[in-house]
Amino acid sequence: MPVTDTDFEREFAELVAEIRALPTAAPAQLRDRVRALGEPEPQASWWEGIRLIRPRRALLVLAPACLTVLVAAAMVHGLLSSGGEKTAATVTAEQAQRDLGRRTKTSPPVVFGPVTSPLDLQSGSSGAGSALVPAPVRGRPTDYDAFLRVRVKDLETLSRRSADAMRLARSLGGYVESVEQTTAVGAPGQADLVLRVPVARVEQALVRLAGLGTVVEQHVSIRDLQATVDAQRRRIRNLRVRIARIVEALRDPSLAADVKLNLQLQLEDARHSLTAATGSNKATLREAALSQVSVSLTTQHAVAATKPHHRGRLDRAARDAAGFLASAGAVVLYLLIVVSPLVLLALAWLFAARAYRRREERRLLAEV
Amino acid sequence: MNAVTTSLPRFAVERPSFAGVAEAELDAVHRYLLFLTGDRSAAEDLTGETFEKAFRSWRRFDPRRGSPRTWLCQIARSTALDHFRAEERRWRREERAGRDLPPDAEPDLPGPAGAALAKLAPADREVVALRVLLDLDGPTAARVLGISPTACSTRLSRALKRLEELTDARD
Repeated sequence: MPVTDTDFEREFAELVAEIRALPTAAPAQLRDRVRALGEPEPQASWWEGIRLIRPRRALLVLAPACLTVLVAAAMVHGLLSSGGEKTAATVTAEQAQRDLGRRTKTSPPVVFGPVTSPLDLQSGSSGAGSALVPAPVRGRPTDYDAFLRVRVKDLETLSRRSADAMRLARSLGGYVESVEQTTAVGAPGQADLVLRVPVARVEQALVRLAGLGTVVEQHVSIRDLQATVDAQRRRIRNLRVRIARIVEALRDPSLAADVKLNLQLQLEDARHSLTAATGSNKATLREAALSQVSVSLTTQHAVAATKPHHRGRLDRAARDAAGFLASAGAVVLYLLIVVSPLVLLALAWLFAARAYRRREERRLLAEV
Repeated sequence: MNAVTTSLPRFAVERPSFAGVAEAELDAVHRYLLFLTGDRSAAEDLTGETFEKAFRSWRRFDPRRGSPRTWLCQIARSTALDHFRAEERRWRREERAGRDLPPDAEPDLPGPAGAALAKLAPADREVVALRVLLDLDGPTAARVLGISPTACSTRLSRALKRLEELTDARD
């Protein structure tokens, strides 16, 4: 039965007194040896300072510190990325058209949509519908990509409208690049068409394609290719001038053989480059001549339109910060998943080592 | 020292000097090691070694985590265990070499109590030393031994009973 602090003093009083009376004082020689040690140096090196930090205490300090830094970083990120008074990225077609008109050399594409309510583009090329379709800039090479998602009534209509769309592309001087139609009983049907239509007639094409059903989504991307074409033309001109100069130089009969050979090699290089540059220029112009219109006809009901919500800066900052924290959490979770087997192994090893050490101690101290 | 420790707030525990602690605790550590090993010369060597180790790691001593006596006893115990291991290896080597093991020496603690103590296992002797000689309380002694306070009390009770039986038998 366990004894308390005072129990054993009372129960074994005589024995305790006898034990305490045993001569167990340290001899003078040992005392001198210990005294000779003196006092340790008070200054600790930085390494000893680090060794003095206890892991549990360090964890208690580091964990909240890391959390605080993470939250602070998320808040700074949220405030910086929320920007000023910029609102949602959706730009109306008219605004974009105005922007496009102002630009002289536009490289980044202008993207329209997605629209949030079914569009009314069915009223003909000169009506209100065409005003909502951004037009390519006249006289400038433009890379024009458009995407329309059009809802139709049923599968039968879907097939009919797909055929109409293909006919329309051909009638406007273009062609059908690809068609993919999926119809299954009980499932919403879908037809994906990629049409190539001359840029000059793309507005008309879009308006007529919109007339195939109810437009539920529309994206238009317009990229001005004038700068690219100009650069290609400049390079072609320079190469031609260079070729002419080399040809002129080669006419000189007094040229040394090695110089002549060198010039011939340069000429060959320049001609190759000219061929490549001319090809690129033609490809760009071809790209600019034909727009790509992707039409997705579907029988599925449109997703309910959401009302555009203009958030305040604080709201955006909070959402960005939350996103940042979520990303950090995902990283931490990933690391935990990766590291946890190693941690478990280390813990198992630690427990095993401790158990072994305890057993060894018990064995060593159990011997009489 | 204790008065300073208890009167000041937790973060302002006064750190004693090593020389002062060594002077005050030398006898206690020596007693503990003498009981643990049952060998006076080994106890002296181990006490010296314990204080040398304590001198080297004095900066790691944190008075908020325990008294200097507890800390020194932990070092002494670890030093003694190393000594037991080394001794065990030495005996094995000698056994393999076919040499006779040294005969049991006379107990280094005089009197019937000393003789009875010599018959106890080191594990029992050390709990008696910690609780009876060094006056460590149950939880502190348990911490030094690396066992629970209940196990410590049980071990002490068993050791004292056995000791009593042994001394009675001698009488």
